[in-house]
Formats: sequence, structure tokens, C-alpha cells
Amino acid sequence: MKFMIIMKANKDTEAGVMPSEQTLTQMGNFNEELVNAGIMLAGEGLHPSSKGARVKFSGGQPAVTDGPFSETKELIAGFWMWEVKSKEEAIEWVKRIPNPDGTDFEVEIRQVFAAEDFGAEFTPEAREQEERLRERIASKQ
Amino acid sequence: MRFMMLMIPKGYETAAPGTVPDAAAVAAMMKYNESLQKAGVLLALDGLHPPSTGARVTFPGGKPKVTDGPFAEAKEVLGGYWMIQVKSREEAIEWASRCPASENEIIEVRQVQEMSDFPPDVQEAAAGFAEMQMKSGHSQGA
Repeated sequence: MKFMIIMKANKDTEAGVMPSEQTLTQMGNFNEELVNAGIMLAGEGLHPSSKGARVKFSGGQPAVTDGPFSETKELIAGFWMWEVKSKEEAIEWVKRIPNPDGTDFEVEIRQVFAAEDFGAEFTPEAREQEERLRERIASKQ
Repeated sequence: MRFMMLMIPKGYETAAPGTVPDAAAVAAMMKYNESLQKAGVLLALDGLHPPSTGARVTFPGGKPKVTDGPFAEAKEVLGGYWMIQVKSREEAIEWASRCPASENEIIEVRQVQEMSDFPPDVQEAAAGFAEMQMKSGHSQGA
């Protein structure tokens, strides 16, 4: 089962404050454990929302607003993609995220849609189209 | 430059487990996905099950605390994302603007951090991360 493990933002991530060297080192070791366990599919950090933008769609015209965005705790600072056997396994790994500075941060665990999650409305043609798309994306990596 | 386009569908925060997107919306989105792929900018994309099936972990006092979804106080939640590789922030915003999104949907465009974005001491402390990404089958963007 594939899960997106979302690191929510806080005032430090939004201010572009770098994690401590200890945190970076321990996070590196944690990431290596994830790779060795065969769980790690991807992991990325995002620049603060001050560098971002939001697009809204009303009356057929897209409207763009520049960041930063004020609801910090709703924002995303980074994420991993993990392949695990269950949500419980994902939770166990999340509990072990290194935190030497003792900060309180929030991690959201969300299951990723797979083809088998859909019923008959996801037709054989549509499934094939999706598979072809993913193959082409994978060959670009 | 890599960017995430984060799909934020209003109302998804209260969607029941098993909610799947409507077939017509999916068909329109697939056309858009294919246009991203044909333009050579699409790196990855995924849809997420609603937060009612998810969990949140916080670390008050350094101890993990698990809360199962749904999350009553959430005003916005992520529904899915695309990761694209483009020449500029403007190009990323242009692609986001072309998404066949509804009035209930917001797309947030966020730049992905590359190793070269960080000062040298941070790059050194995080050394091995790029190698780790290669080992996990994922490569750094330009």
C-alpha cells in the first residue's frame, strides 16, 4: 500500500529556518533506514509558501494569488512516499521520525489511490490509459 | 526547476471513506495529465484517499500522539498532487491555471527544494541524501 507521509508546515519551515545539524544527520540516518527496509519511494522538501502561489477557478477564469498563505498549520513543508503493508506500519515508522530538538510538528498519513481501489466506473480503457501514463512518467525518472 | 501542484478540494475534509472522484471529472483530468506528460513536464502524480481514512501524528513533549481521521478542525486538506519539471515559476503557474479544476478547488504551486538551494554547510550535513534518492529509484531534478 502506498502512503503519502505529509510533514505539515510550522512557523520555522515557513520562515526558511534550517533544521539543526543534529536533526539533519539523524534525518539522514532515518531516511537510510527507510531505504534499507525497502519502504522509501520518494522524499522532498518544499520551499516556504512565500515562494508559492495559489490558483482559484471561478467563473471560468483562473485567479492567481502569491504566497505566503496564513493558515500555516494547513500548509505542507515536505513529504515522503512510502510503500508499506498497512496504515499501522506507516504509523509505526512515523512515530520514529527523529526529533532531537524536541519540536512539536504534525505528520499526516494519507493512503494513495491505486487502480484496484476503483470499481467498474474505472473502465478497462481508462485503466490502460492510466498505466501507459505511469509507464511514460517512470521512464522519465 | 521542480514544482508541486497541490490539489486542495473544498469539502474533501469531510468526505467519507470510499469516496472516489466522479467519472466525468476523472476523464477531464486524464486529458490534462496526458497534456502534462506529452509536454515532457510530468514527473509524478497521485490521488489521495480522503482524510477520514488517514491519521495524524503529533509530538507533544517529544512523545508521538496518533489521531485517526477525519480531522474536525481541518479547513483544507490535500486531495492529490502533480510534480512537474519546468523552466520557471511562471511556467508552473501557467500549467496550474490550465487544470480543469472546479470552483471548489484550489491548486497550490510550491517549489521543490533542490540540494543546490541550500548553503554549503547544510549540503554537507545532508550529504548522501541525493545518493539515497538514487537508491530508492528517484532522481533529483535539474
